[in-house]
Amino acid sequence: MIYLFQVLNGIGLGMLYFLLAVGLSIIFGLLQFVNFAHGAFYLLGAYLTYDLVERDISFWVAMPAAAVIVALVAGLTEASLLRRIYKLPHTFHILVTVGLALVIQEFVIVVWGPLGGSVATPKSLAGVLIIGDFIYPYYRIFAICFTAVLAFVLYWALERTRLGAIVRAGSESTETMALLGYDTLRINTAVFAFGAGLAGLAGALAAPIRGVEPFMGVEALSVAFVVVVIGGMGSYVGALAAGLLVGVIQSLMATIWPEGARLMIYVAMAFVIVTMPRGLFGRV
Amino acid sequence: MTNRRNFLRYTAALGATTALPGIIGRAYAATGAMTVGIPVPISGAFAANGKFASMGAIIAAEEAAANLGVDVSTLDLDTEGKPATAVRRVQDGIAQDGVKLFAGGILSSESLAMGKEIERGGGVFMTTAGADEITGSDCNSATFRWSVPTFGAIEQTLRPIIDAIPDAKRWYTITPQYVFGEGLLNATTNLLAEKGLEHVGNSYHSLTEKEFSGYITNAIAAKPDVLLLLNFGSQSSDTLRQAISFGLKERMTIVIAWASGLEQFEGLGADVCEGVYFGAQYWHNVDAPLNNALRAKVREKYDINPNYSLAGSYICTKLLLDAAAKAGTTDGPAVAAALSGMAYDGLTGPETIRAEDHQVMKDYYLLKGKAKADMQDADDYAEVISAGQSFLSPADSGCKLG
Repeated sequence: MIYLFQVLNGIGLGMLYFLLAVGLSIIFGLLQFVNFAHGAFYLLGAYLTYDLVERDISFWVAMPAAAVIVALVAGLTEASLLRRIYKLPHTFHILVTVGLALVIQEFVIVVWGPLGGSVATPKSLAGVLIIGDFIYPYYRIFAICFTAVLAFVLYWALERTRLGAIVRAGSESTETMALLGYDTLRINTAVFAFGAGLAGLAGALAAPIRGVEPFMGVEALSVAFVVVVIGGMGSYVGALAAGLLVGVIQSLMATIWPEGARLMIYVAMAFVIVTMPRGLFGRV
Repeated sequence: MTNRRNFLRYTAALGATTALPGIIGRAYAATGAMTVGIPVPISGAFAANGKFASMGAIIAAEEAAANLGVDVSTLDLDTEGKPATAVRRVQDGIAQDGVKLFAGGILSSESLAMGKEIERGGGVFMTTAGADEITGSDCNSATFRWSVPTFGAIEQTLRPIIDAIPDAKRWYTITPQYVFGEGLLNATTNLLAEKGLEHVGNSYHSLTEKEFSGYITNAIAAKPDVLLLLNFGSQSSDTLRQAISFGLKERMTIVIAWASGLEQFEGLGADVCEGVYFGAQYWHNVDAPLNNALRAKVREKYDINPNYSLAGSYICTKLLLDAAAKAGTTDGPAVAAALSGMAYDGLTGPETIRAEDHQVMKDYYLLKGKAKADMQDADDYAEVISAGQSFLSPADSGCKLG
């Protein structure tokens, strides 16, 4: 029975990991850009939610507001800084985005201090669901449902709308899109802002579960990379499948081999790199 | 064979050896400066603790400078919470900056590694880290420890709770898998066995873990009466936060054996802390002359109440500087000799440094989180349930110094 509980818990965890990683995957898919500042946008989203809730603003307002603010910050950063380095080797992408991540992290420490804090679960989602021996917080159930709906909407938008077609086409060939008259610079900015906004939303959603602390972005980034590598760089479906896989592995291992639960998600990543270098759903 | 030439050579060598501590010993008086290295994590998961530790050391240095009339400075050495980095920083401090006095090492793993390095480098080290080994089987001539080690922390946390809630028979533990966690877990299993209580399970986790829902699910399945968290800092905060989100506060007693003090309460907030038991090395409201003075100074300088990281670093730095002043040198062995057996009015009341293993004898506290409505001021998060001392004897701790 405990294994069933852990699988259910892992699915909940996996949905959060998906939300965290999907923005990174979309950005890489379109821009071929390795964004090491992705975890910092998650951090910023969590802290903005914390700040707004501390000011007695409803969590239901704070969560989308945080995601939008993060998207705006990311859009401005892309337009003013990052687009200048797209054509440079990946080494430059790493250097600049790591630097950006550090700047955001230090900004968080300066503004909110080094201690971190708790974000109260919204009153309407306080409490737990009890079925026999199974106990699960309502808020985590909400997080699963919310992310599942968002995943479906995202999939539909990417696969079934004109906007999605533009993004997908851009990921195949930016030059062709430019020749067809599309403003690729604006598309790039919008996609980058959207991907970072999703990271901000993940941070906002995770804040009542994990609280906030200035170094949470580093851990989030490592999980996001694991998910993207396992799922396949740039693959939306891959991010969903890998997020769930990583969540279930981590949760199951908490019972089977607790001290190795963290390690096993990296072992899974190493296994995928060796056996399927492009990931589960990576493009050939 | 002893002949005249050899006798003169030995006498000269002996004279030089005898005089050397005196020559070096007056070095700080001659140069008019003392530097204390503060090897603490200033980046990484435990950075908040390091920041406060640095602030505490500065207050001690300023006090010493005013009292001794010499320049006293602190040198922050960022260990990142990693033993290998900590050792490199200490090596640099000794070789490049000539530092002999070190106060810091928040994590046991880094403190154990640094203590050996500082002994090799002729310095002296005062730490707040918790593993029994620091003043036990891995003790050394240069390492001193202010905090109560894991054995005493468990004794002073669990015994009062066991007495208060005798119906709590089933205990579950969540433990970080490194020397500190192992020490707490070992002391816990021994005490539960002695009391005839059942240890229904334990989940180990790595030092980098942030997601504890899987371990909490394990704990729920074991149906314990008490959930005992043996992790530290942000990890114990994350575990507690997630345990409460799973509704465990309403189903069982939750205990954090080694809280990091006021900073942890501030991070968690009163709603999370209410009704939870916390073992603590230090509490800012304890009525002791030195603590009252420190509280006033910290409020004046930083406009906050002192927390454990700040207070621990303050007292470690202060003890080193007091001992250096007494010895008239910053040379490690001489300062260590001055520290051994020292009795003083400390932050928890009268404290002494046991010469046999370099362990400070001081109180450990059991706190219980207050409801927000019962708080007298913004930092009045907890009431002190009990205070006391439990230490292994030097013989039982395994220290071979004596």
